[in-house]
Amino acid sequence: MASKLENNRRTDWAEDEDEEDPVALPPQQIIKNKDGTETIITWSIRDDGKRVKTTRRIRKTVVKQVVNPRVAEHKQWPKFGAEKGKPIGPQTDTTSVAENIAFRPTANWKAGTEDKGEQEKKKANLKDAKIKCRICSGDHWTTKCPFKDTMAPEGDPTPAETIDDVPESGSLGQGGSSYVPPHLRGRTGGAPTGEKMGGKYERDDLATLRVTNVSEFAEEQDLRDMFSRFGHVTRVFLAKDRDTGRAKGFAFVSFADRTDAAKACEKMDGFGYGHLILRVEFAKKAT
Amino acid sequence: MRPILLSGHERALTQVKYNSDGDIIFSVSKDHVICAWFSANGERLGTYHGHQGALWTVDVDSRTTLLASGGADNTLRLWEVKSGKLLKTWDFPTAIKRVEFSPDGTQLLAVMEKRSGHLGAIHVFDVNPDPEGEQTNEQSLRIVCDESKATVAGFSYLAKYIIAGHEDGSVTKYDAKSGEILHNIQVHEDDMQITDLQWAPDRTYFITSSKDKTAKLVSTNELEVLKSYTTDTPLNSAAITPVKDYVILGGGQAAMDVTTTSARQGKFEARFYHKIFMEEIGRVRGHFGPLNYVAVHPKGTGYCSGGEDGYVRVHHFDKPYFDFMYEVEREQAQASL
Repeated sequence: MASKLENNRRTDWAEDEDEEDPVALPPQQIIKNKDGTETIITWSIRDDGKRVKTTRRIRKTVVKQVVNPRVAEHKQWPKFGAEKGKPIGPQTDTTSVAENIAFRPTANWKAGTEDKGEQEKKKANLKDAKIKCRICSGDHWTTKCPFKDTMAPEGDPTPAETIDDVPESGSLGQGGSSYVPPHLRGRTGGAPTGEKMGGKYERDDLATLRVTNVSEFAEEQDLRDMFSRFGHVTRVFLAKDRDTGRAKGFAFVSFADRTDAAKACEKMDGFGYGHLILRVEFAKKAT
Repeated sequence: MRPILLSGHERALTQVKYNSDGDIIFSVSKDHVICAWFSANGERLGTYHGHQGALWTVDVDSRTTLLASGGADNTLRLWEVKSGKLLKTWDFPTAIKRVEFSPDGTQLLAVMEKRSGHLGAIHVFDVNPDPEGEQTNEQSLRIVCDESKATVAGFSYLAKYIIAGHEDGSVTKYDAKSGEILHNIQVHEDDMQITDLQWAPDRTYFITSSKDKTAKLVSTNELEVLKSYTTDTPLNSAAITPVKDYVILGGGQAAMDVTTTSARQGKFEARFYHKIFMEEIGRVRGHFGPLNYVAVHPKGTGYCSGGEDGYVRVHHFDKPYFDFMYEVEREQAQASL
C-alpha cells in the first residue's frame, strides 16, 4: 500500500516536472491598486535564457480634448491591415515610449554642449584609467589627495620610524643606496634642509584623527556634529564612493587643538554610530 | 519631452508624413508596407499592403481620404486612407522617388527615377477626390528632366508652379499647367543632390536640404535663397515649423558608412535652427542611424522623424520649446504689448 502511494506520488511529481516547461511563461497579470494605479506584471525570456519578470505600475488619466470633427471621425475608423481586429489603444509590439529627452532651445547652443562634450571625454578618460589614491584609496591621484601631507600611504609602515632605523641615509656614499630623496635629506642631522613639496597643503596633522568603521550612510555633517563637542573642528573629510555617493567607511577629522583631538580620540573610540562601532586613532604622519 | 517610439517597420524608414489635421502619421519604409499611426498616442490605425518593392515616398491629400505612395516596384499607388483599400495602380518604367498631392487634392505628381535608358521625369495626374470614383490612366502632364534628374518636387501655392530639386543641386520652377521651365537656379553646391523639399504652411517659400551639408530657405516666386543653414553632416531632410520660427534638419552620415563610426560621431540628431537668425538652438537625440525624414505637425505642436534604424520617433514639444525667444524677439514682444 505504502509503495503504491509512493508510486502515485512519484508520477505526480514527474508530471509536475513536465508541466514546468521552461518556455512556458505565466500570463500577464494586471492588478488594480487601491490608489487608482494599475500594476502590470509581464514575463519574458531574455537572450541568455533567463526569465525576466517586469513589473510596471501605471496610472491612467483621462485627458479630454476638443478636436475638429474630422479628427474625431478618424478615431472611429476601424483598424485595418495588420492591425485588423486589434483592440483600441496602442499595441505594445509596435508602440512604446522612449526615455525622456530634455530639449531646451538655447541661443548660443553650440558653445554650451561642446564644453560638456569635452568634460565628458575627460571623465571617460579618468574612468578608463582606474585611478586610486595610495593614501586614502579614493578615486583621485595621490598628488591630489587632501591628506597627502597628513597621512601615510595606506598599509605603509610609519615613515618616521623607517627613517629612524636608517641613520646613515643622511650621509652620502654610505650604506647600500647613495641617493637620498630631497625630502629625506637632513632629517637625521639637525634642521631639515630638504624642500618639502606641496607646501601649501601643509596642515597640522598632529590634531587630525582617522575615523574608521564609519557607516556607509554617514554624512560629513553628522561627523562634524559628533566631534565638535570636543573642540573646534577645522575640517572633516568623509571618503565617498564616486559612483554610489555612499561613504567608504573612513573619515578624517581635524581639530584646531591637539588636546581636543586627544580628548575626542579617547572618547569617541568605540562610540556606537549607525550600528557600527567607531574606531578613532590619530592619523599617521605622511612622508 | 517623451518621444513615442513606433516600431512597426522592419527596415529603414524613407518618409513620414502628417495629414493636414496632424492627427495621423503615415510612414513608409523599405519593407514594402505603409503604416498609419495616430500621432497623439502612437496607436497604429492600419497598414496598406500591395507594394512589391521598397517604398520611397508617401503623401496624403488635404482631406485625409486618399493616400498616394511610390516605390522601387515601379508603381504609383492610390489608397483609400480609411480602409486601406488599393484604389489604383499606375505602372512606370522605373522607380517613383517622390509623390505629392496638390494643395486642393485634385492633382498628384510623381517623380520618376532616371535609369536604364529612361530619363527622369515628373508625371502629373488628375485625381478624382472621391474614393469610389474612377481614376484616370493617363497623366495630364509629363515634364522630362533631360539635364539632371529630379529627386524631389512639389506643388506651390494654388498648384500654380511645380518646384523640383535636382541631383546636381539646382532648383527648377515649372509652370504647373504647361510644364514649361520658368526658372532654374543653383541653390546648393554643384553635384550635391537635393534630398528633400518641404513647404512653409502657405507654400510661398520652401526649404531644401542637400548632401552638401546645408539647408536653404527659398522663395517660391523669385527662387531667391532667403536663408541658409550650415551643418556638419550630409542632410536628408529639412522641415519648417509653424508657430515658432524654427527649422528642423535631419541627417547623419550616409547609411553605408554608419558601421564605421560610433553613434556619437554619426550625428544622428534632429537639429533645430532658428529660421531667421540661422543659428543652431538645439538638438534632439534618439535615433541610432541617420534620420531619413523629419515631418512637422501642421499645428506646430510636435514633429516626427523616421530613421535608417527602422524607428519612427514622435515628439510632442513641451513648454521650453514654445517659450524660447531671442532677446530681440522678447523685446519686440514686450513692445507690442
